[in-house]
Amino acid sequence: MGAEAEHTPEAVGPRRTQKEATRARVLAAARELFDAEGYDGATIREIARRAGVAVGSVFTTFASKGEILSEVMQARLDPLYGEINRVMPHVRGSTVDRLRTLFAIHFEFENRHLRLFLAHIAAAYDWTLSPAARPYGRNPRLKAILRDTVEKGVATGDVRPDIDLDEVVGLLLAAYAWTYQLAITQGAGAAELIAAMDRQIGVLAEGFSARA
Amino acid sequence: MKHISPNQVAVDIPARAPTRRALAKQQTRLKVLAAARRLFSEQGYEGATIRDIAAAAGMSTGAVFANFTDKSDLFREIMTDDMEALLAAMRDAAARGRGVEDALLKVFMAGYTFYKSRLQLARAAFSVSWDLEGGPVLRGLPSSLALQDVFAELLNGAVERGELSQEAEVKLRAQMLFDTYLSNFPQAIFEGWSLEALQTRARDQIRIVLAGARRG
Repeated sequence: MGAEAEHTPEAVGPRRTQKEATRARVLAAARELFDAEGYDGATIREIARRAGVAVGSVFTTFASKGEILSEVMQARLDPLYGEINRVMPHVRGSTVDRLRTLFAIHFEFENRHLRLFLAHIAAAYDWTLSPAARPYGRNPRLKAILRDTVEKGVATGDVRPDIDLDEVVGLLLAAYAWTYQLAITQGAGAAELIAAMDRQIGVLAEGFSARA
Repeated sequence: MKHISPNQVAVDIPARAPTRRALAKQQTRLKVLAAARRLFSEQGYEGATIRDIAAAAGMSTGAVFANFTDKSDLFREIMTDDMEALLAAMRDAAARGRGVEDALLKVFMAGYTFYKSRLQLARAAFSVSWDLEGGPVLRGLPSSLALQDVFAELLNGAVERGELSQEAEVKLRAQMLFDTYLSNFPQAIFEGWSLEALQTRARDQIRIVLAGARRG
């Protein structure tokens, strides 16, 4: 999904243009490498080699490996969240149905580049991560969409008004991330991941639903 | 650094009484494990090299390889040691609980208390667990599976006592509780959450996950 298109150089000096081109090349190479090698396996040196740029020029653009991955994921997730924000207001059904739809869209999307997404989660445990990096869990968009969905549930009488919504969102985020362990340990595909998440949403719903 | 093959090392060691030799070997292993533990904590799994670990232990890389097949072997051994100690702490906590929610909360807290002094190592372990190769190995270790069983046993016990319903979906809920327990580590590691804050959060989480399994 065109990360490059966003970086179309406009009326800028040649130096700036070159910097943007390097940036786009690095991001494209990094995306491929993370998807092939995972987070630990990908090195800045290899990213530079694949992008055909000097290691030094990678570091003049990005502070760390984690930051590169954050940029890759952001470019990748922008269209996903654009689509979700467009679709979700029209998704009918109970809060549980809406949550299931929401996560199904995510699994379908991430499963196409599974290793890239696992790298995104693994980055959350990186040592050297700079504050600017946004690994899984530090991305506010999914959290906001979930919060919005359960808030609507309170408004429609689906969700207990006395429950701590942040707690529910936290549990959903935990279930979502850890469901990917099934892909790691059992090689589960999108359909299995979705089914596993559906069951977990069912369990959580017994905790957050009005009139249990 | 001079490279010495494992075979060469074996030949270099003078023949002694088996017990003394076994003792020396054991001491070498412990020295390597201590150094590896420190370096994995400081550098992460990827960052720590066998060469650095050997240097920190004051021995050759060959001597390290004589005792461990590779870095993942070393890491697995450290993880197993820790998880066995943690397992004992969690079982003890589970036995002290009054009611299933309290017992689960005590188990969660036994884990957070155990890792409070070794969060850096926990971070290295999590990093490995999301790797397609390292993840299945780590999560499939007998001691890791035994930790997950602690959660299932607590729920099964509660079903038997009639505290939870027969239709409690124990397996699924135990898995979710284990994952929830793990999912709180980033807060502990990066945001410096206190044990009290983790406890408050864990209590709410356990309540929500168990709500539908309550009898009646």
